Amino acid sequence: MNKPHHDRTHHAKKATGIGDPQCFKGEAGPAKFKAGDRVRVRDLPDIFYTRCQVYTRGAVGTVTMAVYESPPAEDEAWDNTEHPEWFYSVAFRQKDLWPDYPDTYPNDTLETEFSERWLEKA
Amino acid sequence: MAKTHSDTKKEAAHKHGDHPAAPMVEEVSDFEILEMAVRELAIEKGLFTAEDHRRWTEYVHSLGPLPAARLAAKAWLDPEFKKLALTDGVKASLAVGVDWINSPPTGFGTPSDYCNFRVLADTPKLKHVVVCTLCSCYPRPILGQSPEWYRTPNYRRRLVRWPRQVLSEFGLQLPPDVEIRIADSNQKTRYMVLPVRPAGTEGWTEDELAEIVTRDCLIGVALPKPGVTSNTKRPIHPAVHPLHHGH
Repeated sequence: MNKPHHDRTHHAKKATGIGDPQCFKGEAGPAKFKAGDRVRVRDLPDIFYTRCQVYTRGAVGTVTMAVYESPPAEDEAWDNTEHPEWFYSVAFRQKDLWPDYPDTYPNDTLETEFSERWLEKA
Repeated sequence: MAKTHSDTKKEAAHKHGDHPAAPMVEEVSDFEILEMAVRELAIEKGLFTAEDHRRWTEYVHSLGPLPAARLAAKAWLDPEFKKLALTDGVKASLAVGVDWINSPPTGFGTPSDYCNFRVLADTPKLKHVVVCTLCSCYPRPILGQSPEWYRTPNYRRRLVRWPRQVLSEFGLQLPPDVEIRIADSNQKTRYMVLPVRPAGTEGWTEDELAEIVTRDCLIGVALPKPGVTSNTKRPIHPAVHPLHHGH
């Protein structure tokens, strides 16, 4: 069978001297969310690989910034870099992540990143 | 039949009476075995040589937290530089001799694998602390190798869930009105904390200031203090709330 040729060094060729995620700049199209938007983390299936933490699923937080464009981890794990997405940094109140977080510390927060597919408007 | 490992061990034990020789290596983890296997395959395949690997390892181990400490000191002294550090950490790192993009061995960010670098500025009412709950992502080009405790499941699990308890194990107790903000670096951003410049450092030079910004201050589990120039030894406590699966 004639297998299509896959260049295993394509990522290195693209990123050298530019940096990753910088090398995917401009490839994701317009960003769906902006700083200040309230978003909910979707609970998508993740059969093979994900970097979207279970403890954030279903929680509502606030976008602090659109950080960069990159293929999402779920694709990149399989060397698929064809569909970059915007990544967002999202801040959550600790109480919204952990319902029994002590009320003594209502100000505590956690910030982490998600690719666009994991977020929906809240 | 060749002697098995345990036969040899028994003989050694016999020879030395009741005091068998301690094993040379206590434990080799699955990950170390995996790393060796992949490395040896890569060398056999000609992707890199054993000499390349030795050189890179040596390079990685030559990195340390000093450039990040200097970056913090510079940001304390120069408001313009602080602005740059907060908006473009990669560019600001150049001022302390760290080139995220073109650093060896690959020239696109390794050994940290990714080069989106954010400096998180503390204020008197906001304290950042960094963790990677998925593995142990760490801003290696500017902070060097992560400390052992940073990579432990104990720290990674518990910091996001019980940050105040974990910080108090490091000797850092903060009043309730201070917001603790945990940065979970599980995608392509690497973080360092820019602590608040402590009182008692008025008129200090950049060199003097950089000396009190320890690695722990840059991860966020300690605050800089005049006279303290090294990380304190971390006491080991059992988990206050042991992990229950299926939350």
